Amino acid sequence: MSKTKTSKTVHLTIDGQNVEAPKGAMILDVTPGLGVEIPSLCAHPGLEPFGACRLCVVEIQKPGWDDWYKQLVTSCLFQVEEGLKVWTNSDEVRQNRKVVLDLLMARVPASDVIRDLGNQYGVTKTSYAEVDTEDTCIMCDICVRACHAIGRDAIASMSRGPDKYVDVPDKDACIGCLVCANLCPTNAIPFTANDNGKRRIWGKEFDLVTDERSGEVLGTTEYIEHVRKRAEDKGLLCPEDMKHESARVKRYGYAQKLSHVADVEEPIEEVK
Amino acid sequence: MSKRLYVTPYRCIDCKVCEQACSLAKTPVPGIPAKPRVQTFKVDDQTNFVLLCLQCDEASCQKVCPTDALVRNPETGAIEVNDRCIGCGFCVQACPFGCMDYDDIHNEYIKCDVCKGDPACAKYCPTGALVWDEKAWTDQEAKERTEKKSTDPFSIALEMAKK
Repeated sequence: MSKTKTSKTVHLTIDGQNVEAPKGAMILDVTPGLGVEIPSLCAHPGLEPFGACRLCVVEIQKPGWDDWYKQLVTSCLFQVEEGLKVWTNSDEVRQNRKVVLDLLMARVPASDVIRDLGNQYGVTKTSYAEVDTEDTCIMCDICVRACHAIGRDAIASMSRGPDKYVDVPDKDACIGCLVCANLCPTNAIPFTANDNGKRRIWGKEFDLVTDERSGEVLGTTEYIEHVRKRAEDKGLLCPEDMKHESARVKRYGYAQKLSHVADVEEPIEEVK
Repeated sequence: MSKRLYVTPYRCIDCKVCEQACSLAKTPVPGIPAKPRVQTFKVDDQTNFVLLCLQCDEASCQKVCPTDALVRNPETGAIEVNDRCIGCGFCVQACPFGCMDYDDIHNEYIKCDVCKGDPACAKYCPTGALVWDEKAWTDQEAKERTEKKSTDPFSIALEMAKK
């Protein structure tokens, strides 16, 4: 029993702390709760790791390596190993993050998030030529990965090299759920959540479904249709119009629907 | 057998103490209470109604979640939202009972996680409508709790005083 347990977990050292972690986890995933802070922009626990922002670099040393030899890796993409040593805030790491922030500040000079992070690391002004743009997209692909996760694949990175940009090639695929805009680390996706029953994002306008009784916004027409289809695919026979009364009561403040509960005279049949 | 949250609707007097207790117990930022995970409603003069997550065996919220952000805690048996949530809101649409919710003040998706095994609502419920109980009820007890009874606060107080 104990043998199987040890094979599923590994032991490593992060900034001098002994940590037990599940096999296959990334270094960044095991740091919460340890009191170490690794900055990251493109990482999200629910999405595939991507390694775009390079801010989460850490220094590692594997067992058997010479004492002087260390390597820089992105912690969001590096799996934990038995006997691994990790330094998250050494001089080498901080120097690397400074270079990354210097480059990011040149790329997106208008971003407050990058400027605040730069101030934390002592980079107040970029040493490179600033790109003349108001756009704050850092090409981290978090919107692309999120859109893939919810099953739409509407967003894609277009073009190559320095001209690369993120856009929605097929406007019909976008359902106006705002997941991409809410996850974006630099708030680079402009949107209007609710403007007189209309929602605008990615240059497309959506009609919002509002409940007549409570006035609560339920989402766009396309969004509700997508969730209904997804629920059907998963074998959940509970579309919007078949929901239990309790959902209606809460959503619509519609208590009369439940009045039949009071009419139940017989106790529920006992299970034997 | 592990502990469970038992609801006795006829004992509920719609006093909203459970909502307040939940709201304060789940506050992530001091001073800004969270949206409660439990809610009570008045149906008519005789009937009140406690809306609480049922922790379904095959939960709709869990099935539609694209990032496996809803995971059952083996210790309490409750399904919890973890940090994998990307905020798509599918679970809110999918739950047939309306027990998944979106807290727009703190910008997070919420559900009852029985306070990791120490539910505040049951602790503060004055009438015993919400009970965090260990043992399974006998048939007699279950029958008593499903029978229609008055929700008049006075008669409930009288009943409790008799015990």
